[in-house]
Amino acid sequence: MNWGLMLKAALEMWPATLMCGGLLFGVETVMAYVLPTFQAQFSNGMLQIEFVQSLVGAMLGVDASEAMGPQAFMAFPWVHPVVLSLIWSHAMICCTRMPAGEIDRGTIDLTLTLPVTRWTVLRSETVVWIAVGAIVLLSGFAGYMLGRSFVGPDSRPDIGRTMIVLANCFCLYLAVGGLAWCVSAYFDRRGPALAVMFMILLASFLLNFLGPFWNVADRLSFLGPLHYYLPMVVLRDGAVPWSNMAVLLTVAVVLWTAAGVIFSRRDICTV
Amino acid sequence: MAILETESLTRHYGVRRGIEAVNLSVREGSLFGFLGPNGAGKTTTIRLLLGLLRPTAGHAHIFGLDAWRDSSQIKHEVGYIPGDVRLHSWLDGNTALKLWGRIRRRDLMPEGRRLADRFSLDLSVKVRKMSRGMRQKLGLILALAHRPRLLVLDEPTVTLDPLMQSTFLEHLRELAAVGHTVFFSSHTLAEVESLCDRVAMIRDGKIVANESLAELRTHAGHEVTIRWREPLSADCAPPPALTLTEREPLLWHGRLDGPLEPFIAWLAGKPVEDLHLGRPDLETLFRHFYAPQDAA
Repeated sequence: MNWGLMLKAALEMWPATLMCGGLLFGVETVMAYVLPTFQAQFSNGMLQIEFVQSLVGAMLGVDASEAMGPQAFMAFPWVHPVVLSLIWSHAMICCTRMPAGEIDRGTIDLTLTLPVTRWTVLRSETVVWIAVGAIVLLSGFAGYMLGRSFVGPDSRPDIGRTMIVLANCFCLYLAVGGLAWCVSAYFDRRGPALAVMFMILLASFLLNFLGPFWNVADRLSFLGPLHYYLPMVVLRDGAVPWSNMAVLLTVAVVLWTAAGVIFSRRDICTV
Repeated sequence: MAILETESLTRHYGVRRGIEAVNLSVREGSLFGFLGPNGAGKTTTIRLLLGLLRPTAGHAHIFGLDAWRDSSQIKHEVGYIPGDVRLHSWLDGNTALKLWGRIRRRDLMPEGRRLADRFSLDLSVKVRKMSRGMRQKLGLILALAHRPRLLVLDEPTVTLDPLMQSTFLEHLRELAAVGHTVFFSSHTLAEVESLCDRVAMIRDGKIVANESLAELRTHAGHEVTIRWREPLSADCAPPPALTLTEREPLLWHGRLDGPLEPFIAWLAGKPVEDLHLGRPDLETLFRHFYAPQDAA
C-alpha cells in the first residue's frame, strides 16, 4: 500500500461519504423513530392481507404471515429500498472511480506513471474504500440508535442483534463493491460501468422481490446478494448468519481479485 | 550507454495500425526528438514505454528493465508529461506536490516551488480554476520536481505560450547538461531542431528516419520566400540549390537545399525587399525526403 495513494483516494471519496453517510443517518433516524408507532397497527391490520404479506416477505426475506413483533419490525430500516440505494450508491461511486473513472477523466495517465504497481493502486484504494464504507454504515447505525432512543423501551431493538445486522449489511456492501471493482476494471468509461452495475443490482433486487410471487425467480434468487442479507431473521432470532456472511465475503474477495487481475493486465487508453 | 531501447516494438489495435517494428536507442544525457505528424504513432510508442500499453510484439527497455514488467520500478526515475495534462479538479499545486511527494516517498516541495517560480505558476490555485496553460505548467512541475533521470514528454509545449515554451526548453537544456535524458515528442520540426541533438521520425507507425540533427538539417533544407523590390531580368536564373515552386515578377518561393552561404552570396547586390527563410513543416519534409525512400 502507498500512503500517498490512500490520501488521494480519501480526498476523492470524502464528498460521497459525507453525502451518503449524512443521508443514511437522517433516513435511519426517521425510520427508527417513526416505524414503532405503526408496528401494532401494521401487524394487526395490514399484515392480515395476503398481498401485503407477500410484499413484506419479499422485502424482509422471510414469511411475514406470522405475527411480527416489535424487534422484527425494526428490520425495516435496514432493508428499505432508500437505505439499500444509499449504501449501494456509495459502493458504486467509490469502486468505479478506479480505473474506469480515472480513465474517463484522463487522470490515470499521471497516476499510473508514478512508481506504483497497479495492484498497489487497487489495494490502496480498497483500504480507503473499506474505511469510508464502514463510516457510512456506522452513520446509519448512529441514526438508527438516535431514532431508537426516542421510542419506548418495548420497541427498542436489542443492540447486540442490531450489530449483527450491521455486520451482515457490511458484508453485503463489500460484495456489491467487489462487483463494482470488477466491472470498473473492465471499462474505459465510468458511465457504462455505473449503468452495468445499476442493471445488475436492479436485477438482483427484482429477483429477490419477485421470489415469493414467481417460482422461477425464487429458484434463481440465490444468485442475488440480497438472498444472503436477512435482517429480520437476525433481529428475531439473534443468531449470527455466518454462512450468509461467508458467501458475501467470498463473493467480494473473488470479484475484487478478478478486478485486480483485469486491471493489472489491461491496456490503458485515454486518447 | 543507451538509457532507452526498443527492439521491433509493435502494437496493433485489433485491425487498426498502431506502430510497427519500432527500433530506437536513446543515449543517456541526450536530448532526443521524436517527430511525427498527428496519428503517426508517437503517443502509442510513449504509452508502450510507460507501461500503459502492452506490446503486441517486441520489447522496450528503460534503464535495462522491461518497460511493461518492471514499469513501477522504472518510474522512480522517469518524469512524464502528456500534451494535454488532465488532473483532478479538486487539486491545487501545493496539494498535488504533497501528494506526489508522498507517493514517490520524497519531499518535492522545495524543487516544486523553485519550478513554480521559474514557470510563473501560483501553486495555490485549484486545477478547476486553471487555464489549459496553467494546468500544463503544473503537469510539468509534477514531472520535473523529482529530478528524473529520464523525461518523457509527449508534445508538452502545445498549450504553452511562446515565452513559456522558451523558458521550458531552456530548462530542458540545463537538465541535459547535467546528465538528464529527454525524450521529446513533437510534430513541430522547428521545436525539435532548436532543442534536440538526435531525431527519430515516425510516420504511419514506422520509423522513417533516425539521425543526428546535422543530418536532419541537411535533409530538411529551407523554405525560401523572396520579395523583390523590382522584377529581375527574365534570364536571371536562381542558384542551383534553390528549387522554385512559384516564380512571379516580384515574388519567388521555393526550397533551398544545402548550406546557406552560397545563397546569401548570390542574393548580394540584388534588389531584395524582403526575405523569409524557414524550416519546412513535417509533411513537406516527409513528402520531399522520406516518402520516395519509404515507397521504394
